[in-house]
Amino acid sequence: MNKPQYAMVIDSSRCIDCKGCVASCKVANKVPEGHFRNWVKQSAPVVAVGKGAGQHFQPGACMHCDNPTCVQACPTGATWKDPTTGMVEIDRGLCIGCGNCIAACPYGARYRHATMRVADKCDYCAERRAHGLGPACVDTCPTKARVFGDINDPSSEAAILLAANQDRIVRVVNQKSDTKPNMYYIAATAPLDWTVEAKMPTPMKLMADALTPGLRVAVGFAGLGALAMLGRQLLTPASKEHDEDGQNDQGERVTERNAETEA
Amino acid sequence: MTPNKARRISRRGFLKAAGAVAAGLAAARPETVAAVAGSPAATITEWESRFSACDMCFNRCGLIARVENGVVRKLDPNPKFLKSRGMLCARGNAGIAQLYDPDRLKYPLLRVGERGEGKWKRISWDEALDLTAQSLQAIRKEYSPSGVMFMAGSDMQSSFVNRFAEVFGSFNVTSHESNCLMSNTRAYLDTFGEVPFPDVLNSKYVLMAGANRFEALVTPDSMDLMTAMRERGCKLVVLDPRFTKTAALAHEWWPIKPGTDMAFMLACMHVITSENLYDKAWVAEKTYGIEQLTQHVKQYDPRWAEGETGIPAADIARMAREMAAVAPQAMVYPGRRSSDYVNSTQIRRSFAMLNALLANWDRPGGLLGAREVGLGSGIPFSAPWYDENPFERADAGIAPLMIEHEGSYVLLREAVLKGEPYPLKGFFSFKVNPLATAPDRAKSIEMMKAFDFSVVVDIAMSDTAWFADLVLPAPSYLERMDPASALQGSSACACVVDRDPVVPAMFESRPVFDICKALAQRLELGEFFDFDMAAFRKAQLKDLPGAEKALAEDGVYYNPSKVYGIYEGRIYKTKSQKIEFFNQRYADEGLDPMPVYNAPKAVPDGMFRMVVGRSAVYTHSATNNTLLRQLEPDCLLWINPKRADALGIKDGDAVIVQSAVGKGQAKALVTEAIRADTAYMPTGFGALSKGLSLAHGNGASMAGVLESNFDAISGNAAMHETFVTVTRKA
Amino acid sequence: MERRFYRHSRWDIFIHWLNAACWLLLLVTGLGLISNPDIDPLGGWYPAMLRAIFGGGANLLIFHIALGVVWIAGFVLYIAFNFRGALFFLRELFSVDLPRDALWMVKKPIQMTLGDAGLRKLGLSTDIPDQGFYNMGQKSFGQASVLGSLVLAVTGVVMVMSRTSLGEAQTGLVSWSILLHYLSAGLVFAGLIIHVYMAAISRDERPGFRSMFTGWVDENYAKHHHRLWWEKERAVAGVREEE
Repeated sequence: MNKPQYAMVIDSSRCIDCKGCVASCKVANKVPEGHFRNWVKQSAPVVAVGKGAGQHFQPGACMHCDNPTCVQACPTGATWKDPTTGMVEIDRGLCIGCGNCIAACPYGARYRHATMRVADKCDYCAERRAHGLGPACVDTCPTKARVFGDINDPSSEAAILLAANQDRIVRVVNQKSDTKPNMYYIAATAPLDWTVEAKMPTPMKLMADALTPGLRVAVGFAGLGALAMLGRQLLTPASKEHDEDGQNDQGERVTERNAETEA
Repeated sequence: MTPNKARRISRRGFLKAAGAVAAGLAAARPETVAAVAGSPAATITEWESRFSACDMCFNRCGLIARVENGVVRKLDPNPKFLKSRGMLCARGNAGIAQLYDPDRLKYPLLRVGERGEGKWKRISWDEALDLTAQSLQAIRKEYSPSGVMFMAGSDMQSSFVNRFAEVFGSFNVTSHESNCLMSNTRAYLDTFGEVPFPDVLNSKYVLMAGANRFEALVTPDSMDLMTAMRERGCKLVVLDPRFTKTAALAHEWWPIKPGTDMAFMLACMHVITSENLYDKAWVAEKTYGIEQLTQHVKQYDPRWAEGETGIPAADIARMAREMAAVAPQAMVYPGRRSSDYVNSTQIRRSFAMLNALLANWDRPGGLLGAREVGLGSGIPFSAPWYDENPFERADAGIAPLMIEHEGSYVLLREAVLKGEPYPLKGFFSFKVNPLATAPDRAKSIEMMKAFDFSVVVDIAMSDTAWFADLVLPAPSYLERMDPASALQGSSACACVVDRDPVVPAMFESRPVFDICKALAQRLELGEFFDFDMAAFRKAQLKDLPGAEKALAEDGVYYNPSKVYGIYEGRIYKTKSQKIEFFNQRYADEGLDPMPVYNAPKAVPDGMFRMVVGRSAVYTHSATNNTLLRQLEPDCLLWINPKRADALGIKDGDAVIVQSAVGKGQAKALVTEAIRADTAYMPTGFGALSKGLSLAHGNGASMAGVLESNFDAISGNAAMHETFVTVTRKA
Repeated sequence: MERRFYRHSRWDIFIHWLNAACWLLLLVTGLGLISNPDIDPLGGWYPAMLRAIFGGGANLLIFHIALGVVWIAGFVLYIAFNFRGALFFLRELFSVDLPRDALWMVKKPIQMTLGDAGLRKLGLSTDIPDQGFYNMGQKSFGQASVLGSLVLAVTGVVMVMSRTSLGEAQTGLVSWSILLHYLSAGLVFAGLIIHVYMAAISRDERPGFRSMFTGWVDENYAKHHHRLWWEKERAVAGVREEE
């Protein structure tokens, strides 16, 4: 059987922008004032008279990407992709709130929790799922625009919906940072131009590109040096310096010890 | 009080899930353990799940409260609640912010300064109840029982306020309804004999005018409309001067000139009658006055309507034909709030008549009559007779077809201010806030100042409470036991809900039922309240044997009553006992028996017509909510760029919006999404009460700007008759 | 009786071994806290193993922070109760006689790895410049350790503060702190490899190693390894002698 991949399949043309999902999420996850774990984006309205008018609303949240730039930006692995669920998770105990992952998300799906001082984002309502409930946004949605499930389990509602709309699935990606999101929009969705290029913070980039190789060289060099000295020590008899000075006592002892080691 | 039934939902689901989590942990890599340890799911605290019914608007959606250690953690939709299609909107979710709002009233407060000054003294409940009883009694003695005005909002306990008013002896009972939907109610009563439930789910064509169903949510219509559109090929056409979210998602949007909807409907009827596009047999059998209608609408052709509405004649004719083609599965959506023009009843009559012409009454995809729910009225009473009472209500005799038991707030207020036809010196209100929702706030303030004694029962210091003499704290809907309530949801359901406390009442709050009961005892009317809520509810449910069990297990009871064809062999409650195109009663009263078009007043140069509307986030004046406030923080005044440019207003500018009766400051939203002659802003901003920390002084008050007009037939407030200027704040 | 020279006070010994223990554990746990294929020096197996041992990364982080607190507290105690000793240490560490020490720094490593033959092959004489209380190798490592430790302590505190008091606006500071923490630990670790070899493995430095337990070195060692210091100590009246 395939590994599970929790995902959301969204028919955004059903969305009426009522913000029920946003409110529900805020309560369920105690999201602090001014921050959000999910959203409804609006396309620019086409205010034409008669048949040409329209606007599209697009619900979203963390897309639990297959190629998560947030995970790449996290030095500690506090943000990681859980192979057992396919979810991008945050280990709050390990996160030190450096904010790298926040800048690295092309969707702005993350924020820094002001009181916990760690990164926070959608976790498909882990607490609710532990209680046998669905994610808060999904459960509350008036028009059932959001469908959640394991898309690798063919019997799940999400997988069925995805399969039924295979040829008309849209993923919202940034041209410069295709993170392979696991949020699938059915048919046309809009807006598509709101993502940002994932920004790897400079310190992290430096650590990856320069520091790590540099330090490997430095440590390797030191190690080689130590090995060379050890080699020499093992290959040469006790120090002549000491002998020259008539300190036989010590020299003998060392030699003895040396002999022991060699034996 | 009866203890809470502690309805618990099966824990099987929970245990299964918990097992799955444990298994997952065993298999996961070490990080998983830490991830769970670091997240709140680590300690899966027990939630108790309790049913209730939402009260954040009038819909009463079934909900499940998740309670953790006596604290409500989350409100979830009750998936078995068909009327709402198992949803809970942003407001429903924000009920928790209302429950735990630090601005909640905590104990009885007696005014000590001037009215509206905001100086209060905490008093005991005994003092408060004694004072209220004595004051009401004094007014009753001096001016008659009808000298006290009663006003209660939409609430499952409001009927007890009405009961108290009735046994106290006052005719002058009103509610929020006359600021909302009375003209629509009147129009449908006078066409079909009852107010319909639109079967949106099965409709093929919904023409929506004067309604905004994807923002002003009505269950199940809002959800069903989307399902019908996405899954059943229903077409939605929206007529609205504003590009609402409903317009945004419609197949067609026509920015109709405000106040000309009737012209559109008359022209549609012109097309359908002149082209014989209606079901002749059905119309002949069920309706009265088709000949007169055919004759009447001859004058209203689409070319004429184009001049009035701004919608091309060809499109009007096309839409009429499209509707006729799919009739009876086509409808003009009846809508709710119709407090817009001085001829709103006639406007809405034209909606109702077009529906009749589409032959959609009592049929799938059309307008449905009320289904049988079977809920009893509880514990009956017959109110005492008071000889000293005047002949009729103080607001009577102005709007000829005012609905007697609802009255008219604006007319009643006029009576208070004038002291005619007789003095109204007392005021008892519960969960209604006319100072923030009715037009002309300045007049409402004068009204509050004209009372000898006013008492307001509410959960927070509303603007109305702010100007009262005594304010009594009520528990929110999550903290009290309520009677059962019957709900209809077109073809979705006919059902019963009730409420038990999800958590105990906070502070010193007391339900209005208890207040009415305590006052009745003090006024020697105790016999009319000689029961408790549990007994009342039992009496209500006595003819529904399975109801109590269903309510306990599912949070809702359904009566599987007949949906369609319920009028087979039944007469319509109209004078002709048929569906009336031609209304004989109107003719008798000297009113137009069929809607005669009168163009709305022209918008004066340099001004805008102010229109009222809703978002999915706020209900009326309920804007003092920390959660909802984050979703819509600003009071945005919508104006068209053409006008904004001329006025030197840029998007986001602070603007002053001013009418003949008041002004306020809002933030400009310069947008093509509104007609150039029209302005819009949300209701519920710019509160006067300092007891509402988020709403106070924030934005402009719609109530403060709107002028007071009313519909000539029903007495319903007319809120689209106000012209305003908009200027950039210097 | 053989003369012995007093080299390390009890405070010095205490702080050295506390430092060594903390360093070792901080390094072991700190490496486990880095888990990202782009930057983890040992590969993913190491942090995975360590987290498994500690019952998750969160516990590992708590342990690492606690150790850091102990480590910093040790230094605070050291400085508070042994201020003069600390001052002496720093003065010795940072006084560099550039021509002499530079030459030593060039020649000594060659001698240690390639021997005198190596020196000669490179056209250098085999005499190594005399050194003082610390030789230049010790000094450079000591300097790096002191500076590195300061950076590690400060950035460590910043990272802890990130979870206790810093706001969203300071995340850049935290992010840079991670870099500096990582850089300092890496550089000091490179030096540490040599230091550990010299002190614990090198036969020549064995008396020095022993002195880190006893506090004393014999004259022969003092004379050969720290001649300038030996000369000075010898000249000063009242050199302490072993009983």
